[in-house]
Amino acid sequence: MRFHIVKRDNGPFWQRCCYYVVAVIAALAVGAIILASIGVNPFDYYSKMFTMGTVGNKIAYKTFMNYLKEFVPLVLTAVALSLAFKMRFWNIGGEGQFIMGAIASAWVAFQFGAYLPMAVTLIFMCIAAMLAAGIYGLIAGVLKVKFGTNETLMTLMLNYVALYVLYFIGETKADWNFFLQADSARPVFESFASVAQFPSFSLGGKFELNVTVILTVIIGVLIFFYLKYTKQGYEIGVVGDSANTAKYAGMKVNKIVLRTVFLSAALIGLASAFKVGTSGVLSTSVTNDVGWTGIIVAWLAKLSTPMIFIVSMLICVLQHGSTVAAVSFSQVDSSFANMLQGVILFLVLVADFFVRFRIVRVKKGGND
Amino acid sequence: MAEQYAIEMRNITKTFGSVVANRGIDLAVKQGEILALLGENGSGKTTLMNMLSGIYKPDSGSIFIDGKEVSIDSPEDSKKYGIGMVHQHFKLVEVFSAADNIWMGQDKTGPILKKNRFKYVEDIARKFGFDIDPRKKVYNMAVSEKQTLEIIKVLSYGAKTIILDEPTSVLTVQEIEKLFGVLRRMKEEGHAIIIITHKLNEVMDISDRVAILRKGEYITTVNTSETNEQELTEWMVGRKIDLNIDRPIVEKTRPLLEVRDLVIRNDEGSVAIDNVNFYIRGGEILGVAGIAGCGQKELCEAIAGLRPIEKGQMIHKGDNIVGLSPKAILEKGISMSFIPEDRLGMGLAPSMSITENMLLKNYRDGKGPLVDRKRGRADAEQVIKELEVVTPSSETPVRRLSGGNVQKVLLGREIKAGPNVIVTAYPVRGLDINSSYAIYNILNKQKLAGVGVLFVGEDLDVMMALCDKIMVLCHGKVMGVVHAHKTTKEELGLMMTGVLDLSEKHEDKPAGIAKDSLFESKDGEEA
Repeated sequence: MRFHIVKRDNGPFWQRCCYYVVAVIAALAVGAIILASIGVNPFDYYSKMFTMGTVGNKIAYKTFMNYLKEFVPLVLTAVALSLAFKMRFWNIGGEGQFIMGAIASAWVAFQFGAYLPMAVTLIFMCIAAMLAAGIYGLIAGVLKVKFGTNETLMTLMLNYVALYVLYFIGETKADWNFFLQADSARPVFESFASVAQFPSFSLGGKFELNVTVILTVIIGVLIFFYLKYTKQGYEIGVVGDSANTAKYAGMKVNKIVLRTVFLSAALIGLASAFKVGTSGVLSTSVTNDVGWTGIIVAWLAKLSTPMIFIVSMLICVLQHGSTVAAVSFSQVDSSFANMLQGVILFLVLVADFFVRFRIVRVKKGGND
Repeated sequence: MAEQYAIEMRNITKTFGSVVANRGIDLAVKQGEILALLGENGSGKTTLMNMLSGIYKPDSGSIFIDGKEVSIDSPEDSKKYGIGMVHQHFKLVEVFSAADNIWMGQDKTGPILKKNRFKYVEDIARKFGFDIDPRKKVYNMAVSEKQTLEIIKVLSYGAKTIILDEPTSVLTVQEIEKLFGVLRRMKEEGHAIIIITHKLNEVMDISDRVAILRKGEYITTVNTSETNEQELTEWMVGRKIDLNIDRPIVEKTRPLLEVRDLVIRNDEGSVAIDNVNFYIRGGEILGVAGIAGCGQKELCEAIAGLRPIEKGQMIHKGDNIVGLSPKAILEKGISMSFIPEDRLGMGLAPSMSITENMLLKNYRDGKGPLVDRKRGRADAEQVIKELEVVTPSSETPVRRLSGGNVQKVLLGREIKAGPNVIVTAYPVRGLDINSSYAIYNILNKQKLAGVGVLFVGEDLDVMMALCDKIMVLCHGKVMGVVHAHKTTKEELGLMMTGVLDLSEKHEDKPAGIAKDSLFESKDGEEA
């Protein structure tokens, strides 16, 4: 028996949605099998995970606040990456750019936090992070434009450079190293929460909304608008679609590439400033892998800005929910979410395939 | 059965999604026969042949080889049944030698590159009556040599039936003659040959029978000796069509664009255009003929300001345009459209809509940071209406359109800008007869409006009918400028290969320098 792959037309919208929903359910089923095999009731686990332990919890508002702390850096990074991806510039250096931004904003907090008003410090932190990350991203951009190097490799390698710079800062006990606690014998990052922390506003009850959430939503709307309606957004689309066409239309392709790469990296820097500015401390795991997860989010959302917000919310439920669930289910590590995320991505890609093709059995024909 | 066919396809149907590429096609070819498969672009010729070469599998219908029903599931099966296909885009490894390319796919030779492979391949080539250098690397070969290598390759794998997909589109007149000689000899040796083409004169010249497809449907098969070009066209297009191209006579103006001693380098840094002189008047079409890659692309890019100019001058209405930005040149009214081989890579953004593609050259106009989409939509609607572009809407991505409509969108945009010089390269590349004539009409309309047209083309018959004058390039040098109605195909062919050089024909008036040049008047002012 043989099978053949046959192309199919785009079905109606709801039909395509069905495929993706089925993919996600199938991924959860795979997760359920694994959970069951280690003796955990998958229904209990999933209900804990998807509610993030908020049901019947007196401090559910805290869970939501923590959830948003994870959501903000992820969604902002994914939006930033989608800018570069739209131009077919494969920026997978989100991790490195995020770290550089985090170091720069922490530096501002330590150096100027004591003298400046907090609002000014926070603004400076954002600017410093955007510049540091933007310039760090530009390295790969300039090399590509000048020498035709592969940006995928360059940004990937630069991730590790940035990571080890962060390790160096985090583990070197020395007089110059103001990032560490001066009175601790072991290398521990110093907190600057007292001089620089993004404020939150109470919305009636105990739930407090952090200003970074509002800023993130505003930036998301602006980027959506930027890509869709501005001349620069139009240029990004053309360069991504066909660099030759852009050249033929008289666009300065190199300039557009550099500008967009800087913008993409700078927004990742801003995400890191938001992160550092809410936690008030640097750490070697400051990125929480958003540079990687952001790539997955951007692709699952097919680079559409509104979809990036929705997908980020769901991915964060997985991630945050699994940390919460790990408290009640000690045998399931919180990295279960990473595995589930991988299976979802894989199965959504499979669903993509079935949206475009179908498999038919070859009818018996001939003498084989 | 009275007749034994080498290959017979019966009632073949193949669909891609809701698109029917082939519906109920019958096709048969005998040994020692050349069958021409004729049809416009998108009529399903290549799809049908790909089912013989094992790339696709028919949805229904049956294939018989030497009278036995077979199932071709893969290219290996196809090879086993003695079917060899020479694709339009050659399947050769550029960095390998001729011998290695053949050795690689040979079943008998085993996994080791033996030293005697050059001798082995040379012997095979000689056996089939070809002369090639087995040590020559493919990237050093001319197009016709690559094609010969492809033919030797399929023959050496034991092919009894050979399919050639548009083999003549890349060859000069002389090379086509040579290829046809080879095909006739293979026919005498008892091979069955299927040649895919949409050029009628070649069908009449080489084939014994013609099978015609139209929009995926089988029309008929006729003996070549019992038909004529007019009849074939009607079958192919489905209605009567006038095969004559108009060449309206227009009052010419003084030269619009003059090029003097132009030298341009290509991407590799070697000289692509070598001391070229020419001029275009308003109301004339100047054709540029030449074998592919003789500097046509570089010339077009230089005129549009996209490529630096090493030496020389370009004067547009008396103003020097050398060194101006592409945008400034565009504003002077010089538009350039280049249709590359993939047809979408230059000038259009394939995933973007017609509206968005209309904006490509004028999106910067208007104040503020926003793109004026309304204007793009209005332009798109107008082009769709005026040039009869077939599309569901102005928001359809360009890559979903068929080739002819894509090219109409491109030319439509260029004309919309109201240029006085149009540089267009291969505007009918890959188009069917109907669409091609639509494009010729568009160009003639511009000519009547007093626009100067530089037409870089491939088909000499078309250029001789459409253009007023033809400039022939060979390795970046001008071989002469001839009047289109006075020249012959043979003369152009000899000039293209560099055998005939007419650039020094008139000693008093060098080719490509106008009598009433605006250069002279400028020099006069300076003196």
